[in-house]
Amino acid sequence: MASYNKISPEIAEQLRAVVGERRFFVKDEIDPNYSHDEMPIYGKYMPEAAVDVETTEEVSQIMKICSANKIPVTCRGAGTGLVGGCVPLAGGLVLCTRRMNKILYYDMDNLVVRIQPGVLLKDLAADALTHGLMYPPDPGEKTATVGGNISTNAGGMRAVKYGVTRDYVLAMTVVLADGRVIELGKSVCKTSSGYSLLHLMIGSEGTLGIITEMTMKLIPSPICDVSCLVPFRDVESCIHFVPKIKLANLDPQSIEFMDADIVTSSAAFTGNPIFPERVRNEDVGASILVTFVGSDEDELDQKLVKLGQLAKDAEALDVLVVATSSNKKSAWAARSSFLTAIEADTRLIDEMDVVVPVDKIPAFLIYIRALGEENGIRIRNFGHAGDGNLHIYCCSNDLEEEEFKRRVKIIMDKAYTKCAELEGQVSGEHSIGHAKMVYLRQSVGEDVFKLMGEIKAVFDPDYILNPGKVCDSSLRV
Amino acid sequence: MQKSDYKNMWVYIEHDGKTAAPVGLELCCELRKLCDRTGDKLFAVILDALPETELDRVKDCGVDGIVQVRGTGYETFNTDAWANAFTVLSRKYHPSAIFVGGTINGRDFAPRFAVQLDTGCTSDAMELDWDPETGDIQFIEPAVGGKIMAVITVPVLRPQVGTIRPGTFKYAPAGRKAQIEQIEERIDFDPEKIRCRHVDFIPDESDPELDIAHADCIVCVGNGLKDAEHLERYRRLAKLLGGKLGCTRPLYDRGILPYKLQIGQSGVMVKTKLYISFGVSGAVNHTAGVDAEVFVAVDKNPDAQIFNYCDYGIVGDMDQVCDEMIRQIEARQK
Amino acid sequence: MLKILVCVKQIPDVDLVKMDPETGNLIRTGVPTLTNPLDLNALEAAVQVKERFGGEITLITMGPPMAESTLRECLAVGGDEAVLISGRPFGGADTLSTSYSIVKAAEMKGKFDLIFCGKESLDGATGQMASQLAERFDAAQISCCLSVDEVADGKIRATRALENGKEVVEATLPCLLTVEKDNFYGRLPSLEDYLASKTAAITTYSEKDIEGLDLQKIGVPGSGTIVPRIYPPELPEPGQIIRTGSVKTDVGRLMELLTEKGSL
Repeated sequence: MASYNKISPEIAEQLRAVVGERRFFVKDEIDPNYSHDEMPIYGKYMPEAAVDVETTEEVSQIMKICSANKIPVTCRGAGTGLVGGCVPLAGGLVLCTRRMNKILYYDMDNLVVRIQPGVLLKDLAADALTHGLMYPPDPGEKTATVGGNISTNAGGMRAVKYGVTRDYVLAMTVVLADGRVIELGKSVCKTSSGYSLLHLMIGSEGTLGIITEMTMKLIPSPICDVSCLVPFRDVESCIHFVPKIKLANLDPQSIEFMDADIVTSSAAFTGNPIFPERVRNEDVGASILVTFVGSDEDELDQKLVKLGQLAKDAEALDVLVVATSSNKKSAWAARSSFLTAIEADTRLIDEMDVVVPVDKIPAFLIYIRALGEENGIRIRNFGHAGDGNLHIYCCSNDLEEEEFKRRVKIIMDKAYTKCAELEGQVSGEHSIGHAKMVYLRQSVGEDVFKLMGEIKAVFDPDYILNPGKVCDSSLRV
Repeated sequence: MQKSDYKNMWVYIEHDGKTAAPVGLELCCELRKLCDRTGDKLFAVILDALPETELDRVKDCGVDGIVQVRGTGYETFNTDAWANAFTVLSRKYHPSAIFVGGTINGRDFAPRFAVQLDTGCTSDAMELDWDPETGDIQFIEPAVGGKIMAVITVPVLRPQVGTIRPGTFKYAPAGRKAQIEQIEERIDFDPEKIRCRHVDFIPDESDPELDIAHADCIVCVGNGLKDAEHLERYRRLAKLLGGKLGCTRPLYDRGILPYKLQIGQSGVMVKTKLYISFGVSGAVNHTAGVDAEVFVAVDKNPDAQIFNYCDYGIVGDMDQVCDEMIRQIEARQK
Repeated sequence: MLKILVCVKQIPDVDLVKMDPETGNLIRTGVPTLTNPLDLNALEAAVQVKERFGGEITLITMGPPMAESTLRECLAVGGDEAVLISGRPFGGADTLSTSYSIVKAAEMKGKFDLIFCGKESLDGATGQMASQLAERFDAAQISCCLSVDEVADGKIRATRALENGKEVVEATLPCLLTVEKDNFYGRLPSLEDYLASKTAAITTYSEKDIEGLDLQKIGVPGSGTIVPRIYPPELPEPGQIIRTGSVKTDVGRLMELLTEKGSL
């Protein structure tokens, strides 16, 4: 069990000296939001001090001071996480990268961009577009930092075609727990050069080091795109349609799943009922939104024709086309509003983002809905049908918080067991934080969990980096 | 007829039989100034009876005359009788210009009689000027989402027809003229020929939160707002300040807030003591709708046009600044 | 069967239109176009009427050849026929002459019972076209329509939005309506209709094709208004920007200033 020191006035002075008066905060100067991420239900923990860093050198100096004094350091980006990953469980220092938000340079010959970790996903995406390039990973939360995306290996909607954040990180600068600065990876397309510490850093949630710069891979931006909404009578027929799209070699960019409940919430929330609740006089049970990209309209039309034939065979209620810029805007605004729409009409909320083999989606959804009903908890869900990643929300407006937590724990325990049974994983893209550590341990087994801990100890022998997360069970929270 | 043969400017006084809508009086006040330059006489045009006290308010705006129309067809607003009345009057008296308040009904019938008279019509001018060389009124208005100001004229045809939004000009009566010409006209419109008839009226339930025109303090949220989820803090700040929440057009277009909270030329014109904007870029169409004693602007873009209209500005993340304001105000109140 | 006309317009994305600082002209080249969103609400209202009461929808627009894409977009969601009025002499028109051109072209397709228009276009934003079309069609008009309640026996009953409430009105046909967006969000086209719209025939009228068209009444000569000048908005001098280094102290300073002013 690690033991930590408090930030004494002397240590505070040393830290302040690194960044200056204006970027160092103690007590009530600290942004109260630093005590939580977007899931305050996992507990709020205030740090003793916070610092806005701007350079690798500053981070290095801060880590030297903190490791010498055994001060816990929790790295934070935009705070949009959903598993308590950036919450300072052991107090200490929050190191915030929001001011490290510069896009440093593009290398147009190798199609890469060098950026700082605090660049927001939406800013990188928009800036790359002005260079005719696309940053393929497309997690739903556009105001997350790219540093945060790397630390959680965020996925998003386009993973079906392009893969996840991991696939687009080529190199990075990392500050280790003791303040040493290392470079991992190179701007090359392949590597077969020893253990990939680069890939170990990706998804490590700030427990192994602090990422202070990175080189990201970009691709030429597709010339045109079109989406289709395919509504079905029920969830089963809807999900069974997904592998057919892939098998038909239609190469979709994304396949998003939405059931009737979430469509209703979203329409109420955005005020724009772009996704129909009834089609050809039948209630829609669930729909998928499929997106194709291509180099010209003819190519896309051919895909649409094929999709139409498949949909007919699968007894889809209809195939609706999202082709105009205003419809695209409305459709993606609606799709992006799902989580906020749930949050808007829900007082208590907890979530899971399991990933199961695509064909197991209906089984899992039916199971979790039954669990919700059994326990008096409203279940809302949506997700990436194309890759089996489901976002499932347990919601309540009338329960007391303690009772809610008690019931949700019953549901979660059973649901993760079911997920394991279906050969799924604990988290598809939100990661572990402290909220899901027990389920990770269950899922991977003691041997693997222990190995993770041993790796952690190599990088961070004093356990000062983001204590209590991923595989560090020494903190009892 | 030459265009110089057309003389005098007219203002339509919209009323509901009890009170005159403010926009007609505002237009009289503004056009008084213009007529003083052009040498035209200013006439108020009233369809159907208006109580004496209200008529006095019209006279106080410095009009040179009143055209009072009576007849059949004016019980409730209808486009046919209204447009007809102006066409008949205009053919008889040849006014140089006719101004109509840009209310829903004003915008409904004015362009219509302009076609009957085969003349040019403009809407939503924010400023009126006059070119002595051509004798044309210059209708100056924002265009293309407020990116430019356009000068619009009616160079050949007469009368020059303009609808002007309520609240564009100030109600500042110039005082009553010693002589006020009174013209009485009877124009009957056969009620059988009214093609669109009033059947029923259902008043909106009054929601005080939606009545922002005269709130003491307004917290206005613009397109910088990420999504509806982030809105609550602004509501809270407005409440703490004893004020109301408002928004700019994009938030209405995005379906986040209702039309009645849209501040600006095409929405509500507000008069307030303290106005705080968050994430508002500052398009002319919006700022034209704000009359504030103290104007505070918060936006992350230091070059945003809104900072040209504010008394005090803070460059920063709108949500963070709002949260900090809430914190400091709550701390004071404790 | 009702004959329904829906007037639509292709507009530049006004958010992306910039002004040339040198010449003071608007830069429209390369700016993406879209169908005026409020026209799509009008189309949706028309499609709902067609579904409830039966009818056939003709779309009409005036613009350059590329405006055809707007007609195709509308054909995909319920239009049955489309007319494009295109030709240099129509250019530079204000609402007085545009309404004339549209009505003359529409007459080539017969008499319409119902005409639907958006409340205004986001680029020109005069909001005058609908009333002027109604006058030229010699039709009744219902502006700011919230719902169409009944169409029968040569009459239409509808509810319109006023500043302080809702008005129920009854009008004789032919009647022109402008609609509020709230109950008329556009729908997505089905795949079949979308693909069919790409190859659908579109009637294109030049000034030579429209019977009885008075060339003096179209384009610039037919316009009542001109725009002799545009200029960038004159901005007041910027206010006092508070820059103390942190959000906390910025807000603190603002609070002091507002207290001094007596605004708090």
